[in-house]
Amino acid sequence: MEELIQDLKGKIIEVLNLEDVTPEDIENDAPLFGEGLGLDSIDALELIVMMEKEYGIKLKNPAEGKEIFKSVSVMAQFISENRTK
Amino acid sequence: MNEPILITGMGIVSAIGLDCSETLASLRAGKTGIGALRFLKTDHCEFPVAEVQISTDEMAARLGIPEGQPRTRTQLMGIMALGQALEQAQLTDEDRAQAAFVFATTVGGMDMSEQYYLDFLHNDLHNDYISQHDCGASTEGTADYYGPFASVSTLSTACSSAANAIINGANVLRSGLHEIAVVGGSECLTKFHLNGFNSLMILDEEQCRPFDETRAGLNLGEGAAFLVIETAASAQRRGVKPIAVLEGYGNACDAYHQTASSPDGEGAFLAMKEALTDAGLQPSDINYINAHGTGTPNNDSSESQAMMRLFGDALPPVSSTKSFTGHTTSVSGSIETVICLLALQEQFLPVNLGWKHQMPDGITPVMDPTPQRPLRHVLCNSFGFGGNDSSLVLGHPHNADARLTHSAPSLAGRVGVEAPIFITAATQVSIQEGLSEAWMESPILYEEPYVRSLDVDFKQWLSPGESRRMGKLLKRALATSLTAMKVSGVEHPDAIITGTGLGCIENTEILLMHLCTEGEENCKPTPFMQSTHNTISSLVSIHTHSHGYNATYAHKEASFDCALEDAWMQLQLGRIRTALVGGHDEMTPQYFGLLRKAGYLGQPGQVAGETAVSLMLDAQPSVDALCRLSLVRRCYRPSGETIERIANEIGDVDAIVTPFISKETSPVVDILSRSGRPTLLQYKNIFGESYSAYGLGVYAAAHLLHRQMVPETMLVPGFRCPDQLERLLVMNLSGDKDYTFTLLEKA
Repeated sequence: MEELIQDLKGKIIEVLNLEDVTPEDIENDAPLFGEGLGLDSIDALELIVMMEKEYGIKLKNPAEGKEIFKSVSVMAQFISENRTK
Repeated sequence: MNEPILITGMGIVSAIGLDCSETLASLRAGKTGIGALRFLKTDHCEFPVAEVQISTDEMAARLGIPEGQPRTRTQLMGIMALGQALEQAQLTDEDRAQAAFVFATTVGGMDMSEQYYLDFLHNDLHNDYISQHDCGASTEGTADYYGPFASVSTLSTACSSAANAIINGANVLRSGLHEIAVVGGSECLTKFHLNGFNSLMILDEEQCRPFDETRAGLNLGEGAAFLVIETAASAQRRGVKPIAVLEGYGNACDAYHQTASSPDGEGAFLAMKEALTDAGLQPSDINYINAHGTGTPNNDSSESQAMMRLFGDALPPVSSTKSFTGHTTSVSGSIETVICLLALQEQFLPVNLGWKHQMPDGITPVMDPTPQRPLRHVLCNSFGFGGNDSSLVLGHPHNADARLTHSAPSLAGRVGVEAPIFITAATQVSIQEGLSEAWMESPILYEEPYVRSLDVDFKQWLSPGESRRMGKLLKRALATSLTAMKVSGVEHPDAIITGTGLGCIENTEILLMHLCTEGEENCKPTPFMQSTHNTISSLVSIHTHSHGYNATYAHKEASFDCALEDAWMQLQLGRIRTALVGGHDEMTPQYFGLLRKAGYLGQPGQVAGETAVSLMLDAQPSVDALCRLSLVRRCYRPSGETIERIANEIGDVDAIVTPFISKETSPVVDILSRSGRPTLLQYKNIFGESYSAYGLGVYAAAHLLHRQMVPETMLVPGFRCPDQLERLLVMNLSGDKDYTFTLLEKA
């Protein structure tokens, strides 16, 4: 799981082009949206594309992202349970 | 009260019919045009769409367009609908040649670009279509089928484009520039925007259900629709009866998000309110609202809030006819206007198909086509990305008679008595040192055929968080805009108007390349969002919380020109007091290659550059003003007579800033320089060529007048510096047919 978390942090930074953020800056349980990294709805859509491309998880409803993107830990948990690649 | 604007012709092509009578029959029968994909070639067959039910080949055959001649579906649908409107209004060739043509589209020729993009890059099989790509090409192709118009413009504000084209045309009439305007737009379905909307996760796999609690997104549609609008004096002279009246209009910016509406629908509220005020009506006067009602959870909730706020207990029947036509994106404004006109004519309410479940926080749409009260005034909403919100008030033709007796004297003759406007700031980021006038003393002169912009440090305006998704062009546009606002001391301009030939073409290329090489999976939302032309104007509004008028023109090399003309007209009319006018275009190495093949860039002696330029226009005199903006005139395929008339209006000038490089010139310059022998100046040798380079010409001229100097490099060989610098004419010529003349005078 720790490996997936580290992997995810790198991918979030890359996909969302967070130039001034390093993986160490992202706490495992800190919120990704609103406070914390301050991501918005377009970032959520970008993460949905990333999950489909990298882990083969297809979300039908963007509202599902709300729960999944609570933190990197929650996201990693969801991915490990649902990944198809 | 404003002089009434009469609607004397209309034409429509959509999924529910190829003309007005078919459209009416579908509306009355409750027959939707939304169904399974038939013509668009895409992998996404899961999405229902509303396609015009004839193939592109058949459209071309019906119009007698020979095989082998480049044609795009947008143009063909446009030609079909435009013909109906011209015919109903009984416009003669002479009438048309005196009329402004304002066309709206966002996809332009994308249907062919997405098929041939790899060919464009790697071979010469379909080079004819490269120049068909941009929005302005669709405008010219549609207009030219019927012959010359007096002027042509292209609005591109995503899903409110056609509503804004109607507004622009109405301002043309009110300002007295022309007495007739033909307004509307055309938009075909493309894989590009189907995938773009899919990446935003706002497409429904079932038939859309606007304002229903279970709504899950929109269905895309396509079509074209036009109106002929004219002054009462013109209609009377031509002996034509109005089919309806355009009573008022409003445009406001939500200034909230690039793709989402604010929870309280502030922009929508302001647009509707302005339209009512403009029409001199109360909310209780409105008998029907054709809502934007896309069927996305966000729009319908936000729009409901805005309508409930404005209308309170007096909410008239509301429906979204996107349940019939699908969401026809940039043309929805004129398609739905024609639907409103049919409703006024036939006195019925178009119903809201597919509605079953009440939204807890929303309106209840109309399901019964029989109106409780006669339809006298109806409101039509169109909202676009970036919170570009527009609203039109349309009235029964009987209202015209009442209005005529109350109206102010005719506007004819207003031209020529323009109020002075001041340019209070002019800034640029280009291939010269940015946010500086260092080029006046020591311009950098380039030998290369293609140079990229010299960027400035954007960190002073943008945090890394804010800039994470922005392409370079957006950052440049923000830098010039914010600097112009700071210099002029205007925090919230009444209008933010942008010209851009290609928009953020780098992002368009990313999505096109993805579709061509990786297919239709995993398309990212960011490039799609930024590919929309009005992203630039919206960004400035969002960043500065400016809720005023917002518009974007994408009209080839005359993009900035259209923006300047719009601002100038509205300042003359007193609709606005300040306007931030921008011209923004980038050029990627790939796209430079394509435009070189198309013969536009890479010509001998020419340097292709990039442009970001912002001007602040102000109706208030200011001691710090750079100069006065005294006149803006545009004309398309003008006769010698038209040029003579404009030359007389302009009078003698000390110098003409021409779009030509070095000794090139045109017969028009000869006419303009006949009496006073003005000095000819050039600016593209310094700033390069780009679709919005004209903005840099106006920018440069403003600074020449302010500093009372002419850099040596701007003098066309054979001319010497003028003795005085009081009156400067800045001229543009786009594609050998589209002219702009801007007169600047010493402040």
